[in-house]
Amino acid sequence: MIDFGELMEAMLMQTGLMAISVGNIIMIIIGAIMLYLGIGKKYEPFLLVGIGLACIVTNIPGSGLAEAGGLFHYAYQGVELLILPPLIFLGVGAMTDFGPMIANPSLVILGAAAHLGIFIALLGAKLLGFSLAEACSIGIIGGADGPMAIYTTMQLAPHLLPQISVAAYSYMALMPLIQPPVMKFLTTKKERQIIMKQPRYVSRLEKVVFPIIIIVIVNLFLPPVAPLITMLMLGNLLRECLLLDRMAETVSNSLLNVITLILTVAIGSTMKAENFLTEQTLLIILLGLLAFVFGTASGVICARIMNKLSGGKINPLIGSAGIASVPIAARVSHIVGQEENKNNFLIMHAMGPNLAGVFGTAISGGIMLALLGH
Amino acid sequence: MISDDLTGALSLSLIDFILSFVFIAGIGAILYLFPYINKLGEIKEEDKY
Repeated sequence: MIDFGELMEAMLMQTGLMAISVGNIIMIIIGAIMLYLGIGKKYEPFLLVGIGLACIVTNIPGSGLAEAGGLFHYAYQGVELLILPPLIFLGVGAMTDFGPMIANPSLVILGAAAHLGIFIALLGAKLLGFSLAEACSIGIIGGADGPMAIYTTMQLAPHLLPQISVAAYSYMALMPLIQPPVMKFLTTKKERQIIMKQPRYVSRLEKVVFPIIIIVIVNLFLPPVAPLITMLMLGNLLRECLLLDRMAETVSNSLLNVITLILTVAIGSTMKAENFLTEQTLLIILLGLLAFVFGTASGVICARIMNKLSGGKINPLIGSAGIASVPIAARVSHIVGQEENKNNFLIMHAMGPNLAGVFGTAISGGIMLALLGH
Repeated sequence: MISDDLTGALSLSLIDFILSFVFIAGIGAILYLFPYINKLGEIKEEDKY
């Protein structure tokens, strides 16, 4: 005679329902909030949909997708083996015009100036008891460059990948809220109204030579980050040489979409309750915010100094774009500028420091990896 | 190479921040020379494959 009660109990024990913890439920709620922000509020849906959904699935006991042999586990191998971040850069390079950076070399310095936040967060993390390698990974959040943060973290402190990647991407999505108050606090109304001179025309030949020269420089002087920058520049060369349009189109659209999906799922799959719901996560998120605020501030202050030295020709609002996060930070400079003067189009001017910020983050990360012996 | 304490963190930050400026300034200096590349020739936009 079949005991239905016993049978039901045995079936129930096989489901994830009996093994679910409070931590799992909290993480499922966090995943759901990410989905809401991505789909409902349209905050970086390309990132938040994949991360949020994988976070939910990973925290359902028994799903096994993030366990060894599961599909998300294989997606994570692309991160662990450092394959996905350079491929993201390949796509980004193919969709980016480096003309604004080539046109105005003096503004390139803002790409380094806006990275003070990296070092403030690094020192803060060290003071709070993190190891130096962990502190460097936390600091690089201030570089506002997702693939670079992942790349550095995987080499220095892979156990912090979920917290660091979530903090980096979340703050990048929130830059339109974080940066404007800092920018307004550090500039006068008159400075924000400055209209900058039109940048010079950059020829096709210059745009073709640029990636080749950067590849040589980075491979020669900064080998730890050469895979990332080489792929960024390869993508850009595909775009600029005019002969490989189909390839450029594929890497900047189809390939970039596929890689982004795999990467976001891989990041979400690391957000297990036992790893994520810790005091460390809270500290990393606070330090990440500190890094973004100080990075924005140092960029604006440097741009103010450059404005004084140039006799009032540089709008200090473009300084904050040096933090990287292309093109979000440049767009923020433009929007804040337009609030003061509707006829002020800062986007092209801000793109120069913004693109230089990508190199600034890579240089900082490369130096860190070299100094720590990676 | 660098000690895992606050002094090490401070040294690393200082070295990194200064070297970042040097590298970026180097890239900037190279970009100043870019207009001269145009003296070598030109790629016409209509030269598309």
